[in-house]
Amino acid sequence: MSKHDFRGGVLIENPYPLNQLSVVEVPPPKKAIYLLKQREGASAKPKVKVGQKVKVGQVIAVSNNDYCVPMHSSISGVVSAIDDQPIAHSSGLKVPSISIESDGKDDWISLKGCGEEVDKCTPDEIIEKIRNAGIVGMGGAGFPAHVKIKGAQGAKTIIINATECDPATLCDDALMRKYPEEIIKGIEVLMYACQSQKAIIAVEEDKVDAIIKLNQTIKNKNICVEAVPIKYSTGAEKLLIKLLLDKVIPTGSFASSSGVLCQNIATVKAIYDAVVIGKPLVSRIVTVNGSALKNPSNYEVRIGSSFSDIVKKSKPSANPHEIRVGGMMMGVDVPDKNYSICKITSSIIVDEIKIKQKESACIRCSKCNEVCPINLLPQQLFWFCKSDNTKKASSYDLQDCIECGCCSYVCPSHIPLVEYFQYGKALVKKELREQELAAKSRERYEFKEFRLDRIKQERDKMMAEKKAALKAKMAKEKDNKAKIAEALKRVNDKKK
Amino acid sequence: MIEAIIVFSIFALLLGLVLGFSAKKFKVKGNPLVEQINSILPQTQCGQCTYAGCKPYAEAIAKGEAKINQCPPGGQEGVDALAELLNVDTLPLNEEHGETKPKHVVEIDEELCIGCTLCIQACPVDAILGASKVMTTVIASECTGCDLCIPVCPVDCIYLIDLKPSMDEYVPNMEKVTNV
Ligand code: SF4
Ligand code: SF4
Ligand code: SF4
Repeated sequence: MSKHDFRGGVLIENPYPLNQLSVVEVPPPKKAIYLLKQREGASAKPKVKVGQKVKVGQVIAVSNNDYCVPMHSSISGVVSAIDDQPIAHSSGLKVPSISIESDGKDDWISLKGCGEEVDKCTPDEIIEKIRNAGIVGMGGAGFPAHVKIKGAQGAKTIIINATECDPATLCDDALMRKYPEEIIKGIEVLMYACQSQKAIIAVEEDKVDAIIKLNQTIKNKNICVEAVPIKYSTGAEKLLIKLLLDKVIPTGSFASSSGVLCQNIATVKAIYDAVVIGKPLVSRIVTVNGSALKNPSNYEVRIGSSFSDIVKKSKPSANPHEIRVGGMMMGVDVPDKNYSICKITSSIIVDEIKIKQKESACIRCSKCNEVCPINLLPQQLFWFCKSDNTKKASSYDLQDCIECGCCSYVCPSHIPLVEYFQYGKALVKKELREQELAAKSRERYEFKEFRLDRIKQERDKMMAEKKAALKAKMAKEKDNKAKIAEALKRVNDKKK
Repeated sequence: MIEAIIVFSIFALLLGLVLGFSAKKFKVKGNPLVEQINSILPQTQCGQCTYAGCKPYAEAIAKGEAKINQCPPGGQEGVDALAELLNVDTLPLNEEHGETKPKHVVEIDEELCIGCTLCIQACPVDAILGASKVMTTVIASECTGCDLCIPVCPVDCIYLIDLKPSMDEYVPNMEKVTNV
């Protein structure tokens, strides 16, 4: 049991406990759609053409941007489309995608890993393997795993985040029960790649079976399991570090600069697959849960499978539903089930339609202030964001908000505080972008003026030089003419 | 051939930029008020304010020769910001100078382009690459959407294109969030 704590946070009981925690393996789908942009930043570029045959595990999109990992096909078949498809993101936008129709064979590429003796590979080779396997943080943020690991070389402690504090999501719990050996080996790979001395697996204390399974599997005295209290938002990286190590990571800096690497547990399993077996990231465990389902469950599915196919397996009611992706607290609401599973899709929550409570005026109860684990003043931030006052909001550390939603959860006035903060952050970003663009345009404008001026000066100089040369030439010619005339005169004189 | 020209143009531009920077770095800073005004102007450099660019307009405002409400790309927000900086009453944006258009860039239809280079000369921020008699192209990331190149094109092959909304630039619509 951990000795430390952080302030704030809320206790939320799981409204939909799963009665069976085994993982249902879903066979490869008939069709898969791979979204080439799963988070902010660059998107991978297709490396295949429509009509091309592909195998499972084959690279179908790449990027030379280090923050963008390759995408692999999760089924064997034929590329049927390369177009834009919707992503489960609050923007409702479409992003570039590749669609593949299955040939029903599940034909894999040949896999080449380092094998169990990982130290035959150098840490750099391992990191390269992790990148090539397309691994990103599978808890939800989707940050490329290799970038994080590279930045944490020499980190003393590795924290394996298996807290899964979002109440209705249980995919990590299922993963720990199903793959304890792979997880522990994956942790050893990670420790070797970072040359770390210690690894702590943080699990919520009520996940008793998972804790027992892991403890039975661990043979390495440098790896331990730590049961953490059930409190929502424990899983946020900085809070978890505070909880386990009593270390405060300052604003704007990363855990790695304090000698800590934090990785999600599903990411660690993917690292095992990539390094030991040589298998790229083509599947994950997804929790399908919610009040509208008869059979909520955890499914091991291929990336690119459709939401509606998976949800169907849980026997949803015939009514219209409310759908939320990525967790009850941290997730986003989406309008329908026409999406495909991404590497970061941890859960799909399908609820019966609830009557939404209308937002009313803030009564200044300051409950939100009490629960904010980051020590912000949500009540103030709300006013600033509502009135588009980005300057004030920034001075009250809006950027530090981890969007955990504790404040919205407790607000008696049902103010969607997190949404306001997301809006405020987007505004700040927009202003920054516009400022950058304006600065660039100003520079280019001034440069053009300078360039035109330089051309003019050069032309003037050239003209002046030409003039001078012409003058000199003319003077010389005049001189010559005079000389000739003189000579002629002399000749004529002699003749006389 | 075309690739070579583009590569060389970029190269030349880069070299030019280096020269430009050094020229600017060693230049004596101008009037601070002009700089402050200029930093509020949107730098679209479209000339709708009737000046040759944002800086000349900033100079005119500083001298008291121009009103503060002549910049359509800056919109009403821009006018308000200028009023605040100069400590004067704000004015409504003067519609005679044009309306505030959504952010956009332009694109050249490379099939139709005859390589006359007129657009290159018209572009205030050197965002168009090309050379005489070869295809020209717009560097979208540098284009300010001033539209000055559109009227000068003799074959009308320059078009406005709306910027595609992207996940990275998404700003949620709060009305939608709170009205459910
Ligand atoms: S202000 Fe941000 S960090 Fe604080 S409780 Fe609200 S969402 Fe969480
Ligand atoms: S919890 Fe809601 S009502 Fe209470 S102070 Fe915060 S914003 Fe206002
Ligand atoms: S109207 Fe155009 S040139 Fe004038 S200040 Fe505004 S953006 Fe600059």
